[in-house]
Amino acid sequence: MSVEDLQQQFVAAMNAASTSADLKALRDDFLGRKQGRVTALVKSIASAPPDERRALGAGANALKQLIENALTVREAEALAAAPPKDALDVTLPARQPWMGRRHPLTQVQERVEDIFMAMGYQVIEGPEIEDDWHNFEALNMPAEHPARDMQDTLYLSSPVPVPDGGRAATLLRTHTSGMQIRYMEHHEPPVRIIAPGRVYRRDSFDATHTPMFTQIEGLVVDEGISLGDLKGTLNTFAEAFFEARVATRFRPSFFPYTEPSAELDVECQGCSGRGCPLCKQTGWIEVLGCGMVHPAVFEAVGYDANRYTGFAFGVGIERLALRLYGVDDIRMFYENDLRFLQQVAL
Amino acid sequence: MKAPVAWLREFADLPDTARVEEIAERVAGVGFEVAGIDGDVIDFEITANRPDCLSIRGLAREAATVFGVQGSVGPGVQGSGSPGVHQGVQGPEIQVTLESPLCGRYALVLADVTVGPSPSWLVDRLTAAGVRPINNVVDVTNYVMLECGQPLHAFDLARLAGPEIRVRLARTGEPLTTLDGQSRMLDQSMLVIADRDRAVGVAGVMGGATSEVSSATTRVALESAWFQPVTVRATAKRLGLKTEASSRFERGADVGAVPASLARALDLLEAIGGGRRVGNLIDVYPAPAAPRVVTLTRTKLDRLLGDHVPDADVTRIAVALGFATTPTGSDWQMEVPSWRVDVSCEADLIEEIGRHWGVNRVPATFPALRTAPGRSHAGVLRTRRIRRLICGAGLQEAVTFTFIERAAAEWFVVDPATLVSIANPLSEKFAILRPSLLPGLLDALIYNRRRDIDDVRLFEAGAVFEATGEHQRAAWVLCGSRQTHWSQPAVEVDLFDALGVAGVLADAYHVTWRTEPDLQSPWYVPGRAAALMADDGTGPRHVGSAGQLRPEIAAARGLTAGVVVAGEIDVHALHDNTADGRRITALPRHPAVIRDLSVLIATGLPAAAVRGTIRANAPATLVAIREFDRYQGRGIPDGQVSLSLRLTFRDRDRTLTDAEVQHAVERIVDALIKTHHVTLRNH
Ligand SMILES: [Zn+2]
Repeated sequence: MSVEDLQQQFVAAMNAASTSADLKALRDDFLGRKQGRVTALVKSIASAPPDERRALGAGANALKQLIENALTVREAEALAAAPPKDALDVTLPARQPWMGRRHPLTQVQERVEDIFMAMGYQVIEGPEIEDDWHNFEALNMPAEHPARDMQDTLYLSSPVPVPDGGRAATLLRTHTSGMQIRYMEHHEPPVRIIAPGRVYRRDSFDATHTPMFTQIEGLVVDEGISLGDLKGTLNTFAEAFFEARVATRFRPSFFPYTEPSAELDVECQGCSGRGCPLCKQTGWIEVLGCGMVHPAVFEAVGYDANRYTGFAFGVGIERLALRLYGVDDIRMFYENDLRFLQQVAL
Repeated sequence: MKAPVAWLREFADLPDTARVEEIAERVAGVGFEVAGIDGDVIDFEITANRPDCLSIRGLAREAATVFGVQGSVGPGVQGSGSPGVHQGVQGPEIQVTLESPLCGRYALVLADVTVGPSPSWLVDRLTAAGVRPINNVVDVTNYVMLECGQPLHAFDLARLAGPEIRVRLARTGEPLTTLDGQSRMLDQSMLVIADRDRAVGVAGVMGGATSEVSSATTRVALESAWFQPVTVRATAKRLGLKTEASSRFERGADVGAVPASLARALDLLEAIGGGRRVGNLIDVYPAPAAPRVVTLTRTKLDRLLGDHVPDADVTRIAVALGFATTPTGSDWQMEVPSWRVDVSCEADLIEEIGRHWGVNRVPATFPALRTAPGRSHAGVLRTRRIRRLICGAGLQEAVTFTFIERAAAEWFVVDPATLVSIANPLSEKFAILRPSLLPGLLDALIYNRRRDIDDVRLFEAGAVFEATGEHQRAAWVLCGSRQTHWSQPAVEVDLFDALGVAGVLADAYHVTWRTEPDLQSPWYVPGRAAALMADDGTGPRHVGSAGQLRPEIAAARGLTAGVVVAGEIDVHALHDNTADGRRITALPRHPAVIRDLSVLIATGLPAAAVRGTIRANAPATLVAIREFDRYQGRGIPDGQVSLSLRLTFRDRDRTLTDAEVQHAVERIVDALIKTHHVTLRNH
């Protein structure tokens, strides 16, 4: 029998078939492994004259494919027309367990911590209420130092004791530097730490300011630490954080506890440096402050300032989060609106 | 500091081709951020350490260094010739007395003036720099302040009592009406400029109204002085009065510029036809500051920057910035100019070189690890783990403010006296440090409920505060349905959902705690609160609680419907038992025998009591007890409840026989009957 005849037979039989059972019989009849007609045709190729085998083989294979495709379509149609009695409506919602997400600020904080932990830093913790020494004096900011104006401080109505019997807390920390002072008071160099946490300023609460925000400060102290090391470290951080090769720029700045001091800008991700509203048309986004640890800080914690040098930096988590999530109002991080929080990837 | 470029050019030979934008960008590159550009005027932000750049001369010096050009002498002291300086406390026309060391230098000169408007070029400059023109005399003092950074003041000599100036501390309660028209009460901590009888100005902050220069003024006393920064800052703060003068003095004015600025003012006054000097310039400077010399060493410079700045560049930069520089071998001796109050140590010099060499030119390197990295603090790792565990239990993390309002805080303490308050809160909404994480979480829950989100499950981990100190807690709140699937009716959350979160933490940390009625947390509905009691062998310890929040608390915060359950624990209860948890016990090799037991017990009898009696009367082969049903209502007598328990018996070494399990169960039932008068329903 020719390929064409067999195809005509199949088309006629398929038009007559209506149920799943009919289609099953049809499949057996044509494609069955032992008795199938197409199978028989394929087997007969071996006995055909050599010059016809090639054409016959191609035709048989094409027919087999055609029948297979046609049956698949018809079988699905038959199943849809008459589903099993115990079929489940698979389009109903799943019974999904409740799923919680870490807050976006937590995610950004841990992301930063992870980057530095991979560079060999240890993450430290410390109190949110501080004494004047750890928050200011040890950081080269004696009483009435004008730089204290940069950090408008919230004070406690009365002192609160601290667990280790140290100085009672009198204020809400304005940065996490106090943790670094405390660490240096108890450890000799080398130091390689990250100090994350909430910090407080007497600041208004609007789209770009909050009286409370999250900061991560880093500190490295050892023999021979240079400004170049600071640059290399922060460039590495910026690339890891933004998952891209980003251009960076260091601008000299001022902090009482570092000398020299600088601010790090990264190329605006919104416009690739061409200038847009996000970066106020400058092409750059200010990311963090940094510098070489001021010798007065080493003196305050009893380090030999002739032997050791170090660098420090501080980055605002909210500022990074605004960039990362493309949010323009910092208050959204503190409203805890589930419709906002649950948009964040896990 | 608003700097017109034309004015900068008077003090720096900037290339004619340099555009305003280029000048702005390059000066910004050495640490003076540009807040804006308006035509020819660049608005530079000046950091707190650089009072010398709150002046055109200071900024011009930076610009000249950046562009590698000569700084110009500028229209300085010339023309009329330097005035004679009368060193000492008494001049021929007016007597000056310094009574307090808080004033380090005081210069004064008299001038006859014709008060009137300033010429337009001067008016334009002041306006461009953001200073309101007043009259030629006052305008000249302001002009010189902007140009030299040295605030000056002009007194109407006729309005002073006696030709006499005394720089002294104010008397307590001494009154003074300042130029802004405010009458102020001074105190002994404040330094004043006084005439023979009374204060006529607050030193370094603002002059007095009575001696103000007016159109009737014919002779003025022009003052130029140096006041100790701390006293000016403290006084300005106490008076709530921040001025152009105080912001310069409190950062540190240039003690060397005191007489020169006065001379410049006289020149200018004469040049615009506003007046001329009368007599000598008095300069009282009791303890002249010794020149400060700081050594810059080649090794430190290279080491701190991580770069090699050639000798020629070091000298070029230092000299251009005004440091008299002498090479000594491979190092340098640098004399710090009087205006650089911020430079006192070698690191400061390295910053100067680094700034103008270019931080961006320094090659990026990477610090070597000399020792193994330290382990992060246990608390950090614990908080990370707690967050993941509670997220895994289906709760969303929230971040709420640490400070809350008193009304919200007071619900969550037994004694309001233990609350920690902020002395200078921004508002009453942020006045109290939270004593618990629950008030913030409750507000966040209500925020969502008001946006038609019915099922809210939130948690937070963080610090709480009480008068005895700061503590780390984890807390959670839940409302709405336990599950929201179409296949089952919605069931509202209850205490046991809140306890379940605590259970997840306990399981993960391999700690055991038991529950008992909580009678000490007034924020929970009585009878619907459980205290979590940990017992590690040293006696039970309260580590937290869970319960249904009192509806009136939610109502007070704006939510009137539905149950809210909550829990809070001290995270220190979750000590790291990872090592214990890692030890795996061999699995049992013999089958367990299970017996279900249903008993009728008195309604008030705690399940824990039933469990305790069973344990006390069971053999060691009883390995587990689990309540699997509790029923009250139809078919159960009043005052009683049906409790069903599943008992699991197993021996480590052999298969238990039916008979011995049966015997054990009978003993248990007998004990339950005897101890609690239970009725056996079946077993
Ligand atoms: Zn941009």
